[in-house]
Amino acid sequence: MISKQEKELALQSLELARREGAQHCRICLSKNVTDMVDTLDGEVDKITHCLDRSLSISLFVDGRFGTFSTNRLDGQELQGFIREAVAMTRLLAEDPCRKLPAPERCCREATEGTEMQTYDESYESFDAESLRTLALAAVVDRTGYQGFKVVSEEGEASASEFDTITADSNGLMCRLRETNFDYSSQVTVETPDGRKYSGYWWESTPFLGKLDISGTGREAVRRAAAQIGSAPVAGGRYNMVVSSEMGFKLVSPVLNALGGYSLQQNNSFMAESLGKQVFSGGLTVIDDCWRKGESGSRLFDSEGVASRPDDIIRDGVVKKYFINTYIAGKMGLSPTIEEPVRARVMPYPEPGLDRDAILRKVGSGIYVTGFNGGNCNSATGDFSYGIEGFRFEDGVLREPVSGMLVTGNFLELWKHFLYAGDDARTCMSKLIPTLAFAEVDFNG
Amino acid sequence: MQPNTNLSETFALSSRELETLVAEALRCGGNWCDLYFENTTISNLMLRDGQVSSGGHHLDYGCGIRVLSGEKTGYAYSESTDMPSLLKAARAAGAIAEGRSAVAPAFGRSTVCVQKQDFYPMRQSWKGCDPAGFVPGLLSIESAIKAKDSRAIKVIAMLGWSLSEVMMYNSFGELCCDLRPTGSLSVSVIYCDGRSTQTKNASRSFRQGAEFFCKENIDAVVEEVTRGVDALFEARRPKGGQMSVVMGAGASGILLHEAMGHAFEADFNRKGQSIFAGRLGEQICRKGINIVDDATLPACRGSLNWDDEGVPGQKTYMVTDGVLTSYLHDRISAGWYGVEPTGNGRRESFRYNPIPRMRATYMENGSDGSLEDLIASVNRGIYVDEFSNGEVKIGEGDFTFYVRSGFLIEGGRLTMPVKDINIIGNGPQALADIRAVASDLVVDPGKWTCGKGQSVPVSCGIPSVLIDNLTVGGE
Repeated sequence: MISKQEKELALQSLELARREGAQHCRICLSKNVTDMVDTLDGEVDKITHCLDRSLSISLFVDGRFGTFSTNRLDGQELQGFIREAVAMTRLLAEDPCRKLPAPERCCREATEGTEMQTYDESYESFDAESLRTLALAAVVDRTGYQGFKVVSEEGEASASEFDTITADSNGLMCRLRETNFDYSSQVTVETPDGRKYSGYWWESTPFLGKLDISGTGREAVRRAAAQIGSAPVAGGRYNMVVSSEMGFKLVSPVLNALGGYSLQQNNSFMAESLGKQVFSGGLTVIDDCWRKGESGSRLFDSEGVASRPDDIIRDGVVKKYFINTYIAGKMGLSPTIEEPVRARVMPYPEPGLDRDAILRKVGSGIYVTGFNGGNCNSATGDFSYGIEGFRFEDGVLREPVSGMLVTGNFLELWKHFLYAGDDARTCMSKLIPTLAFAEVDFNG
Repeated sequence: MQPNTNLSETFALSSRELETLVAEALRCGGNWCDLYFENTTISNLMLRDGQVSSGGHHLDYGCGIRVLSGEKTGYAYSESTDMPSLLKAARAAGAIAEGRSAVAPAFGRSTVCVQKQDFYPMRQSWKGCDPAGFVPGLLSIESAIKAKDSRAIKVIAMLGWSLSEVMMYNSFGELCCDLRPTGSLSVSVIYCDGRSTQTKNASRSFRQGAEFFCKENIDAVVEEVTRGVDALFEARRPKGGQMSVVMGAGASGILLHEAMGHAFEADFNRKGQSIFAGRLGEQICRKGINIVDDATLPACRGSLNWDDEGVPGQKTYMVTDGVLTSYLHDRISAGWYGVEPTGNGRRESFRYNPIPRMRATYMENGSDGSLEDLIASVNRGIYVDEFSNGEVKIGEGDFTFYVRSGFLIEGGRLTMPVKDINIIGNGPQALADIRAVASDLVVDPGKWTCGKGQSVPVSCGIPSVLIDNLTVGGE
């Protein structure tokens, strides 16, 4: 964790910046320690120890603004760095919209850094040998498979501690301390005809005691084997169900388009949508930012502005743009938090639905378990993604599908939204459950 | 190995101290150690809303220490290069050998240890340059774009420059140093014709000093970002499905990068994961096709005097006359295959251990005529020339890349403009389906970055090619 000495040095940099001529300044000191053990085919393949420290400094000098960072935190080095940073900031054009957030908008509760309860005290006694034991315990039993063999199995166990302090010259002082324990497994299987299929699965939690990796490797194998024999089906218009692990691909572009930078640059397909019903009435997305004990929950954003649970989209109506202090000045809008902390798609039409229930409700179509590349045009919302998954009929998965593309426009796609499950994985930064849509174009 | 620049003063370490660190790292029995010292400065200036009102400067400094015990890797790094910190990192990396009985060394040794040529000499160093001198050039970009096309309503231009000082030392006693400059200019324009909004991007990125930010590069980016705007407004999605695709020279090299290059990286093959594993020596595409990965192109974004394991930069033929002749190796995979490393051991920074990565990947010229000849030979298909991101599934060989713009081909002629479509295919199948290769090779000058757990700058290129049976997304 950040030592008292490191914290003092960071705070001194605020004073240093002021002495060098900055009227205002914000600093963010981050310290991250990560240990990883990688396995390959049941043996330890790599051990890695990482320790990162970084100091980011945002300077407001004579109406000008610059951002700087360094990992050289020696006192004299830092003084020279800040002097040069102030000089470089003075080269830039004045921009009256560059300001620190008003103190009353800033977070005052994040004093210890552990308020979101995402710090596991047992991290401090978790040593490299324990991590190695954990990694080796998760190795897959390769025997007993019919119709394929496992040709490669990679696992990675990691334990990390993240500590950050954000402070500014208006008196802001926020801290966040988190731990994380992860295990991931990637498996390649081969069929007798030489075809290869890969599968991936992972678990992640702030608490060592909650990390259950007993089924991770098996799930990776299951996912690889499920794709055996996959092929395109006839192109056309299908219902589409998207797995809870992959739904973020369809939600993130919408959230990005609600962001101030895109809106201010006229590069958003969500322009002039605030307060309007632009999606299916079944769609509700909230910022569920204060979920204690889950990674990604935050009391403040990178400016130190306090987060709060809030509607983003309610019953298909856009309720919020994400406008930081700078963009608020540029666009003449009221500032908000700069981006959603933990976007959550709410269950629809009722709580409690899982994947299988949604497949039954939809009946037939294509169930997407993976997106392969693709992109979205941020100005128009047009998208095209490669997909893999399964055709389903009568609510039951049939043959595996690959080599197909899904193409459309996000405004149209979400108008055709049908259902949202209640099965989001809490280890992911966005809480996106199984999603279902009608009338989606597939090419194969 | 000869250092081309002595950086021992930058990192304040003597030869004796380097030897001490290696000895400490190998104390538990590892059989290879390398040290990677890096001092990187990154700066940028951004033009937005008609003024250069944001910019920054970032320092990254440290040393990565790697120990190999057989093929097993121990890795640790320190952001401080004082001896106590480095010794601590050396011991952490050396722990990979703890409890292992003696194993055979598995690293590849290069017989070529001298780099005679600097592939990216700086005429004007970024060090000490005055950023104020770049502001007029950035401002000129917006005015030039708006003068060319009144539909341009927003212009963002970012000039970025970096200089990495790298020093590598290994347990062979080899020391080498490298100065790696990069200059990049990226421009994004929003066009509006009163009815709809379109975006267009262009970039240039070279391993050059401050001479990079010159009129020639500025003009080239302005020209590219204002070219084809009418077509952008007219463009539609084609009817999707399987069809022939003519890929224009240059940026279409993303096909090679995604469909073949990654699958040729030797770590995936050593582990049996790649669809090309075990296929060395096989004819994988028609005769006459040569695919290379090259670190030696002057000032190219993907070039390297030395890779990040201290192996000299070189040109590697992966496919020669249609035959798979080499994978892309780091020292570990080279040792495993019993060949020389190919200089493809790369890393994002001292925080990462090196792994096999591409540099500048391209196909050499063919002899099937011109781009026009290729288009004329297609009855129904598409021509594509602008791309964004791509991706590949190594085991399956399935790749995808996103097309920003192109044209429908009907009856051997370009007709309707198309945009925002994804193309997918299978690597080995796409190679086999290359029907024609023109003689107009271009290595794309854009800002390409490859992600494989770590980001590294790369380049890609290709002559115009005609490929049958690719799947195109559409209505």
